[in-house]
Amino acid sequence: MSQLATFIEEKRQQKPILSMTHVVYGYPSVEESLSWMERLMQEGVDFIEVQFPFSDPVADGPSIVAACHKALEQKLDVETCLSQLGKIAKNFPDSRIVLMSYLNPMYRFGLDKLAKRAAEENILGLILPDLPIEQAATYQAACKANNIDPVWLVTPVTPPDRLAMLAGQASGFLYCVARSGVTGHSVHENKSHEGKAKQTSLDDYLAQIKQHASAPMGVGFGLRERAQIEQLIGKADIAILGSALLDAYNKGGQEAGIKLIKDLFH
Amino acid sequence: MQSENGFYGQYGGSYIPEILYSSQQQILHAFEEAKNDPEFLAELNKQWQQFSGRPTPLTFCANLTEYFGGAQIYLKREDLNHSGAHKMNNVIGQGLLVKRMGKKRVIAETGAGQHGIATALVAARLGLECTIYMGAKDIERQYPNVFWMKQLGATVVPVTTGAQTLRDALDEALRDWSSSHEESHYLIGTSCGCAPFPEMVAYFQSVIGNEVREQSVAQFGQFPDRLYACVGGGSNACGLFLPFLDDKEVEMVGVEAGGKGLELGEHSIRLSHNLGQPGIAQGFATMFLQDSAGQLQETHSIAAGLDYVGVSPIIAHLAEIGRIKMTYAMDDEVIAACTLLLKKEGIIPALESSHALAGAFKDAPNLPKDSKIVINLSGRGDKDIFNVAKAVQDETFPQFLTDYLASYPTNHADHKEQNA
Repeated sequence: MSQLATFIEEKRQQKPILSMTHVVYGYPSVEESLSWMERLMQEGVDFIEVQFPFSDPVADGPSIVAACHKALEQKLDVETCLSQLGKIAKNFPDSRIVLMSYLNPMYRFGLDKLAKRAAEENILGLILPDLPIEQAATYQAACKANNIDPVWLVTPVTPPDRLAMLAGQASGFLYCVARSGVTGHSVHENKSHEGKAKQTSLDDYLAQIKQHASAPMGVGFGLRERAQIEQLIGKADIAILGSALLDAYNKGGQEAGIKLIKDLFH
Repeated sequence: MQSENGFYGQYGGSYIPEILYSSQQQILHAFEEAKNDPEFLAELNKQWQQFSGRPTPLTFCANLTEYFGGAQIYLKREDLNHSGAHKMNNVIGQGLLVKRMGKKRVIAETGAGQHGIATALVAARLGLECTIYMGAKDIERQYPNVFWMKQLGATVVPVTTGAQTLRDALDEALRDWSSSHEESHYLIGTSCGCAPFPEMVAYFQSVIGNEVREQSVAQFGQFPDRLYACVGGGSNACGLFLPFLDDKEVEMVGVEAGGKGLELGEHSIRLSHNLGQPGIAQGFATMFLQDSAGQLQETHSIAAGLDYVGVSPIIAHLAEIGRIKMTYAMDDEVIAACTLLLKKEGIIPALESSHALAGAFKDAPNLPKDSKIVINLSGRGDKDIFNVAKAVQDETFPQFLTDYLASYPTNHADHKEQNA
């Protein structure tokens, strides 16, 4: 069985919902981002999702885009990042790290090598939002060979048969995108052209996924308030906190970030 | 050119966030149906003819031919399209497809502003809401185009992330599409992006080459010996080249922007001299200008429409298999070619198209006198008035600007409101 799924199931015996907090590697500097990851681990988050920056992060909203561009003012290296994350993983055995990035920097690094090195550093899951499952056969095989999980995304507009296919292939956990758009408070939100996908409530959407998914479910995109987290209890396993945490960090540093996590999860 | 499941050799494909899957599939099916629907094709031809002024002429350049003393030089006059560039061919096609899909809004990215203008024109005509993403630096370089987009009723959004040019505008358009896909169509301006965009844009642009096939035979009794086109995203090159793909005797030359030099950041040469590397970004696989870590890099060209970091997967594939020969022209050679066309033939070319001229002018003297070359004059140069004036260091232009500013009404608060 998947190491990631096993970890999630064991943790879920003690907690109604697990926390996954997002950190941009190298933002505002490599040192500060590593210190922030360690602090999150000390505070007892269940997962950190580390984003290795790419110059053109098309699935991300303004907060994360700005952080990635700031991080890329320094030269960042995938190998160094993996070793540094490995140290954190070793020091905090009660939590797990998943790595998120876009395809191009990982493709340049080598997807086979990525799966191998991630597994060696105890990074158990990989998220590549611009790699469609149809093009992912060798990547899936590399993950399987190294006993780590490629994490697939489903969305409220994923057609039912495709949703069944993605949920069926999910291992580790399935990343359920809560709404249309990019991460965080989209600049395009609240405009007249905002999608009409809201006919389906989040509850119905998650119930529909659950029918097909044997893997645990994580929910992200736009989570900012405790009520939203409470709504997920019993329907999903992990609440993923991305842009909201980054915005808090930008406003008040680590303390503001930790306060937000405590408000949301405790 | 037919793709294999969206791929051209190792390039192309569809690498988009999952949220866009359904919309991408919708376009794929709508385009497949439309191109096999005689009514759609009849309407397309009618709009090309009655709105854009097609067919555009194939113009013989007697003075340039004599000046170089080599090949006989012809220009395919895409500058004579409504809106002043070949961009209109594609926008008319996709505009009709938007109506067919029942969407109410279009999103577009633009570099030089030519695609933005063409999109705003067609959106106005079809009654569609229109949002144009444009890099803040490109807005500075091409403000006259921005002005017209706004006057046409489009919302122009300055993109201030990254290098603030075409690549960033494309990212931002994709982000908008991710949240607005149900009502909005992403009207991409070049033969790039996820499948089926490269194939679809190339299909609509192929009207250029199809016309040249007929015109060349009618005017000089054979197909051209060589074709030249500038290559930014690659849509005008696809348009001229693809209809001749199976005519092996027709040579094809693509001209990229050499900019100021061959250092990374000073040019937009992706397909020759090992300057670009294979990558996957912005929805598709192609040759990108990137560093060893896979981060896309900044580019430069005097022509805002050519400084794209990637290139059409169709062109990348055809260059790789040797069907298209790739070369480049430097900024100063481009200005010289532009000036020469003005003086010899009385035609004002866009700086983008002047790259194709510069590439052809280098070869022309060495080609046989009975050979015929066709250069795609993809756009007219009116939009470049400020940049060309600066490049040729026109002495009176600064004075004109100073005088103009002095007489410009200053109570423009109302206008600002209106254009916001």
